[in-house]
Order: sequence, then C-alpha cells, then structure tokens
Amino acid sequence: MRAVETRPPSSRRRAAPRERPPAPRRPGARARRLRPLVPYALLAPALLVLAAILGFPLYRLVSLSFQQYGLKELFAGRGTFIGLRNYQDILTDPFFWTVVARTLVFATVAVGLTMVLGTLVALLLRNLARPMRVLVTAGLVAAWAMPTLTAISIWQWMFDFEFGVVNWLLTRLGAESFQQHNWFDQPLQGFTVIMIVVVWGALPFVAITLHAGLTQVPAELEEAARVDGAGAWQVFRHITLPVMKPIFLILATLSTIWDFKVFTQIWVLLNQRPSREYFLLGIWSYSESFGVTRYGKGAAIAVVMVILLMLVTSFYVRQMLRAVGP
Amino acid sequence: MTRRRLARAGYNAAAVLVLLVTLFPIYWMVATGFKRGADILSFEPKWLPIPGTLENFRTAVDKPHFLQDVRNSILVVIATIVISLALAFLAALAAARFRFSGRAVLVVMLIVVQMVPLEALIIPIYLMLDRAGQTDRLAGIVVTYLTFVLPFAIWTLRGFIVNIPEELEEAAMVDGCTRAGAFRRILFPLVAPGLVATAVFSFILVWNDYLIAYVLLRSPERQTLGIWLASFTTNHGTEWGAVMAGSTLFAIPAVVFFLLVQRRVVSGLTAGAVKG
Amino acid sequence: MPSSRRSRLSAVLALAVALVLGVAACGGSDDKGDQSSAQSGPRTMTIWLMEGSAPPKVVDAVNAEWKKAHPNDTVKVELQQWNNVTTKLDAAFAGSSPPDVVELGNTLVSKYAAAGALQDLSGSRGDFENNQAWLQSLTESCTMDGKLVCAPYLAGSRAVIYRKSMLAKAGITKAPASLEELQADAEKLMATFGSDKRFSAFYFPGKYWYAALPFVWDHGGDIAVQDGDQWRGALDSAEAQAGLTALKQLVDCCSRADKQGDELKQDQAFAQGHIAMIVANGWEKGVILDPKQGNPKLEKDLAAFPLPSRTSGQTAPVFLGGSDLGIAAKSKNQDLALDWVKLLAGTNFQTQMATVGGVIPNSTTLLDLHADDPYLSVFDATAKNSRFTPTSPNWANVEAANILPDMLVSIFTERSSVADATKQASTQITDTLNSGS
Repeated sequence: MRAVETRPPSSRRRAAPRERPPAPRRPGARARRLRPLVPYALLAPALLVLAAILGFPLYRLVSLSFQQYGLKELFAGRGTFIGLRNYQDILTDPFFWTVVARTLVFATVAVGLTMVLGTLVALLLRNLARPMRVLVTAGLVAAWAMPTLTAISIWQWMFDFEFGVVNWLLTRLGAESFQQHNWFDQPLQGFTVIMIVVVWGALPFVAITLHAGLTQVPAELEEAARVDGAGAWQVFRHITLPVMKPIFLILATLSTIWDFKVFTQIWVLLNQRPSREYFLLGIWSYSESFGVTRYGKGAAIAVVMVILLMLVTSFYVRQMLRAVGP
Repeated sequence: MTRRRLARAGYNAAAVLVLLVTLFPIYWMVATGFKRGADILSFEPKWLPIPGTLENFRTAVDKPHFLQDVRNSILVVIATIVISLALAFLAALAAARFRFSGRAVLVVMLIVVQMVPLEALIIPIYLMLDRAGQTDRLAGIVVTYLTFVLPFAIWTLRGFIVNIPEELEEAAMVDGCTRAGAFRRILFPLVAPGLVATAVFSFILVWNDYLIAYVLLRSPERQTLGIWLASFTTNHGTEWGAVMAGSTLFAIPAVVFFLLVQRRVVSGLTAGAVKG
Repeated sequence: MPSSRRSRLSAVLALAVALVLGVAACGGSDDKGDQSSAQSGPRTMTIWLMEGSAPPKVVDAVNAEWKKAHPNDTVKVELQQWNNVTTKLDAAFAGSSPPDVVELGNTLVSKYAAAGALQDLSGSRGDFENNQAWLQSLTESCTMDGKLVCAPYLAGSRAVIYRKSMLAKAGITKAPASLEELQADAEKLMATFGSDKRFSAFYFPGKYWYAALPFVWDHGGDIAVQDGDQWRGALDSAEAQAGLTALKQLVDCCSRADKQGDELKQDQAFAQGHIAMIVANGWEKGVILDPKQGNPKLEKDLAAFPLPSRTSGQTAPVFLGGSDLGIAAKSKNQDLALDWVKLLAGTNFQTQMATVGGVIPNSTTLLDLHADDPYLSVFDATAKNSRFTPTSPNWANVEAANILPDMLVSIFTERSSVADATKQASTQITDTLNSGS
C-alpha cells in the first residue's frame, strides 16, 4: 500500500471522533441535503457535451435505419419510412453472415495479438534500466504519434508489388516467386498485412497504458512471492494479473471495439476500392452509405454492428458492472 | 550474478527488437522526406537519402495557409485536452467514488457510445452543427472532438481511480481534509499516469483527425494540419516526398508533447512515496 | 426516502436543463440563414474548387474581373481535398448553406443533379461563350433529362506516352497507326529489352479501366446502352469482348505491371526507366519529370502518340475526364454565381487555363491553343474523339462498386474467361444502373 509522505496542511481542529466516510467534515443541514447532487453535478458538464453533440445524431442514425434514404432524400431532408425492411434485407443476405464471421475472426485475432504483445512490452519496459526504458517508450510514442494515413502509406509501400522492401528482401533471400508479388491478391495474405498494420498502430497505446498500470502493482508483493520461490509466470498470474484486472478488462474491451470497427486501414491499403472479400462491417456500412448512397441501409448496418459489439463485449461489461456495484 | 547479466542482455535485446519494429517505418518516413523523386519509389530500396534534397520540406511548408493551419491545430488540441481532462476527471470521480442511481447505466452508455462508427455519425453531426451555426468554426470541432474523447477518457480514468484504495482519501480526511481536498491532493497525483495516458490519447485523436475537420470546416484560414497533410493528394496522384516531409513535421509536436509530459509523470511518482 | 426522492428530482432537473440547452442549440440559429438572403447590403459568395485544378493566378484573375461587375460583394474561394470529397459534398448540399458554385468531377454530376442539388441552367445556356462548341462529352456529363445542370470546365484525355530512345533502339521509326501495329511494336520492344526482368513495353495495370475503355469503344462496344428509360449493360456484346480480348493480348505479352494494381503509381514507375509506353493523361508528363517525384533527365526523351484504332490511320475513342461547374439549387446568390461561372467558362479564362494550367479547355474552338506544342496537341486531338460513361445518376454507384476494375482483373489474371467476366459485369451494371436509389 502506497501512502504519500506529504500531509495536507490543515489548521482546522477536529474534535469529532473519526466518522466513517463518506460523511463530510463540515456537516451542515444544507450540505447534507445537497450531497446526493454531487455526483450529478460532477457528471453534468461531460454529459451535457455528449448529449448535445451525440444525442441527436444517434437518434438520427437509428431513425435513418428504418427509412429508405438516398441522396435525394438527404437533400430534401425527408425519407420514406419502410419499417424493418433494411434490417430484413441485411439479415437475410448471406453476404451479411460472411462479413460478420470475417469481422469476428479478425477482431479476435487482432485483440489477442494486441493484448499479448502489449503485455509483453509493458513487462519489458518495467524490467529495463531507465535510459533504455525512456528510449523504448519514446519509440512507442513516436510510432503512436505518426499520422495514421502516413503510417498506413509506409506499410503499403513496404508491401508494394514492385517497390516494396518486403518483396525485395524475400527475393534476396531466395524466394523468387516474390519478385513481383501482390500481397492483396489472396485475402488471407491481405488480411495478414492489414493485421500487422492495425496491431502496429494499436500496440503503443496498450503497452504504455499497461505499463502505467503496472506501476500501481505493489512491488513488495511481487518481491515477497519471488522470495517464496514463485516463478515469473506464477508471479504474473497470481499477483500482477489480479491487480491489473480492471485495466486489462478496459483495454481488452476498447481494443475489441476498435478492432471491430476497423475501417481506415483496409480502405487506404486497398486504395479506397476494397473488393467484397475484404469487407468488414465498418467498410460495408460506409460503402452502402457513401459509396452507393443508400444511407438507410448503411445506418442499419451500423446499428447491427453496435448491437453485435454489445453482445460480444457483454462479458466484459457484466464484469465491469459487478465491480461497479448496485 | 551472470544470471542477472544474461537477463539484462535478454531484456535489452528484446528492447532493440521493439525499437526496430516501431522505428523502422518512422525512419523510412523521415528519410523519404529528404529523398529525390526517383529514389522515393524505386525498385532497389534506397536506404539512405543520399543525395538528398530539402525540396520536399520546402513544398510542404510553402503551402498557402500553412502557418494558420498550425495555429488552428495547436489551439484545437490544447482546448480539447484541457477541457476533456477536466470534464473527464470530474465525471470519472462521480462514476468511481459515488453511489447514485443510474451509475450502471452510465457505465454501459459510455461503452456503447464508443461502438458507433464515426463515419455513420459525421453527416448527422454536420447537419446538427449546421443548424446551430457552428460549422466552419473551431469551437464546433473542439466540441465534436470532445464528444469522441470523453467516453473513453471517463471510462479509463474511472478504471484508474477504482484501482486506488479509498482508504488513502479516508486517511487524509481523518487528518482534516475535505472530500474535495482529498480528491485534489491525494487522488489527482496518483491518477497522474492515467491522466497522461488520456491526454496523449486525446492529443493523437485530435492531431490525427481528418474526416471531422474536413467535413466541418470550410474556410481556408480555418483548416487544420490534418487537412493540410491530405492536400498533397490530388487527382494527379500523391506527392509522396511532400507527404513524408509534411508527416515528419506533423509528428514532431506529438513526440515533443510526450517528452514534456513524461518528465512530469516520473516526478509525480517519485515525489516522496513512502512505504506506509 | 426523502433524500432518494430529492436525488431523483435533481436528476430529472439536470436532464431537463440538458434537453433545453440541447434544443436551444439545435433550433436556435435560423437567423444565420436569413442574413444572406437580405437583398440589400453586400453579399458573400462561396466557390468550391478542387485542389490542384486551377492555377491560383487564373482564379485570382477571374475574381478580379468578377469584382468589376460586383464591387460591393465578396467572393470566397475554398479549395477542397479529393479524399472523401463526396462525403463533404453530401453534407454540404444537405445543409443550409451549400457553396454557391461547386466544381464537380464529371462522373459525379449526374448523381448530384438527379438528387436535386444543382440549379437548372438551361435558360442561361445562351449566355455562355462558346456554348455551341463545348466538348461533346463534357456537355453530355452536364445534361440530365434534357436540362443543362452545369457548365463544362476543363478536360483531360489520354494518349500513349513513350520513350523515344527505346522505340528507336527497337527499330520503330514512326508511331503505330493501327492497333495491329501497336501490338507488333510492343512485341519488338519486348524482344529488344526482354532480358531486363522488370521491363514492360506497354505498362498496363490491371484495374486501369479508363485506359481499357478505348479498346471496347473502338471495336464498337459500349459499357451500357439505354433502352427507353432502362439501361442495359453491354460489355458482354461480341464487339466489347473483341476489344477486351485485343487488350488482353497486349497485356499478356508486353506488360509486367501488377494485374491487380491501379494506375496511381505508374508515373513514378515509368520514371524508373524500365517502361517503354504507358497510357496516360497529358499532365502525367509533369509528374514523370518532377524532380520531387520522378526523373527530370527524361525530358528530351518523352513524346506521345494517340492510341490507334484497329482501323489504320484513325485514333481510338478515349474517355474524356474532366470537371464541370455547377450552381447549388439552394444557393441564395444565383446571379452572382452565374456571372462567375460564365467568366471561368468563357474564352478569356479558358485560354489561360489551357496555356498556364496545361489542361484541355472546354470548347473545340480553343483546342488549337496548343498547336505549337507537339506534345499537348496530341492530347487535344484525342479530345476531339472522346466518349463518356453512361449519364445515369447511378453511374457513381457502378464506380463505387468497382465493377469494371474487378472485371478487368479477373480477365487479366485469367480467373474468368472474357465471356464470363463480361457477362457478370454486364448483369451487375444493369442491376446497379436501374436500381431505385
């Protein structure tokens, strides 16, 4: 348990015996009455901003999904109500199920890789001497700070058909078939490249945040366990992991949400013209909305995506709610 | 002794590997900014930008309104970070330290709101700001950025706060602190790493954004650097040298920001932690 | 219980305050819109031009000229990026104050016109200089249901850019006059330089559908034909298939380009020195020679010839790319906008666009501006024999769904036969063009 050395200077004399928190130190009838308002007051500014900007658009998104809404309707400001037909079209379309499966698999692999590699890097950071640690952290932040579009362009160059360094390297190492090789010909290879780009971009944030969280793990406990003969993995599993659990859950949920929604990487790597085999839910929603300007259907796909995400992350959410309490 | 030396060497080797993976693309970006045209996309990769040129940087910086773009981006980023940290910390306090009806709903809503793809919301957001007369205004995009930063920030900070035992604040209050004082003096410094992570996240989200700024802003003097970076791609193709030079310039503030912030984190953590 | 009731009350109050503020923010500022419709007082007009389309000097000159007629009003030119421009256009046209004048890529016009975003200019056609001599394909792109919805602005066409030294080394003394000769020349080039594993005599990336269309059109085929008010995909016709087969023959023997790639990097590839011929726009020469992107040393070695037809002595019809200038239907400054567009589309400034900007101007009367330039005159000549994509409002959806590039890729990679690939593409085109939006 960490305690701070500096004590808050206080000249108030306390005569009352120690009460159980959260009783205020200066009880007054008025203060006691207003107390239940405190959390709401704390929340109000943030919630106001969110409600103001997101409230109407979210409502709009859902209502759009029940309408037939093309470009004409967009400019006129009015659509035709068609009830659940957009949803019907989507759910009975075999392509939808393919895209869902593809998105799920992609997200699972991406999240897994990100969390595992992120944890390894965070642990590594903890075990490095200060100068090296600063260097590696700086490297991570530099990678994170790189503009997304630029980063994707660099990776795209690296895997380029004729100019790419990967093909060049592989050819040098003897694999002649990579002389001029298109990595996006086969979706499996293409998604590998996409996965590398996504994980590369996501890793710094996860690693740095986990490292920050690791600093909250009491070193004495780990030391004690190690002295008692526990191996590295056991120390990690029984001491570190439980303390880090909330942060792990948060990061895993966030990664799941972000990797589920992946759009930019695929869009840019495939030069803004991905073929159907590369469609994930985010791409499909965008393509329907802006590509073929069927905003209603695009909105419906987005709503379905959110519902799916809620289902997928429900496990984490339930854990979180359990921690939150009644 | 040698076991420790081996372990140290192992860690350093792993560190070098991580550095390679993270830094190679960055090196390539910087190097390409200095390359002549024929060396940028060439069959045999040109590892070093020799002979080099400063033309790409000159082109990048000579773009009309470049300095205004810089000014706008800096304003927007600072505003977003400061406001988001303030609002998020308060809200996270509420969500982590208080019991109130609707707390569970709040947590769920914060998560759900992050699941909606930005592309699906951008036009409704534009139309709404349009009706409020806030399109083509920096305040409009700051508020929009806040919307996308806050759910994540509140949620993350809540996680950090939850991790800090309430007993610390209780101890302080026994010694004469008000609740607010306890939050300010005890909790706030301990959550510093979380605040840093949130601030960096906000920075990157705002600094890197293209779509929101592009759709919501119109006047040439109100653009941000994200749009400037995209302006090197026309229907005549992309000027790769200028993009890379521009990106190098563009990434520098982010790295500087981190270096500044990193020292504060370290000092905050080492300032008098005593085993209690 | 009283405290919980009070806390619930305070929650409701907070929510109410939030709602009121939200509604106030949303409903509030309708007066922003009224301001610009005030007839008296100075007005501001907004122009959206695409990044890189007009030289700044020309734009400034147009503004100065326009100011003479409207001394009390202001014109604001805002440059738009090409990335995600349709998203921005959608949002702007749906909002309350779209730009008064907007430059639209010619393939995008029918989509926005059909949705009611553009003002009908048929009544003002006579006021435009040279309107009888406008380039036919650009005019087609501006016509919807017989109405004129925009004014042609600038054009770009394609021809073959080649390396003089390479053709000379292979013993080719004059530009091929027919498709057959082109094929023979390409084969000769491959024979001469074939030892270089990277060499392409005729570099043709698989997804380059703009450059594939001339082969289809030249053999008598088309993308789609109109049957009353229905469209029918026509790429599976015997003629179209013949054209694509001829192209495939050329690609098989003589192109090492990525069969699944697009043409975005072809200029940089050309500058590397292992390519003899590419199908390109006139401005691509600038990219090839730009020291920041290519190799300026190739300057003396570049020349162009038009893509030949299978009929000796004629050129194949090429796709005419370009932009048009439209006026927003919701614009409150129709008169100001019209004057501005008339200026930029008029003889004086079109001449400047051609000479300073190097683009193809919008009227055939101006096509001899480049007569002294052996390079640009090739492209101007091909513009005279140019065609356009189907003027259906759903054409943009065909492009967005990548039907043509995917068809070409399956042909070149031999995943499908020409017959199967074209059949599938035609069916998809028919469905897409005829679907209600």
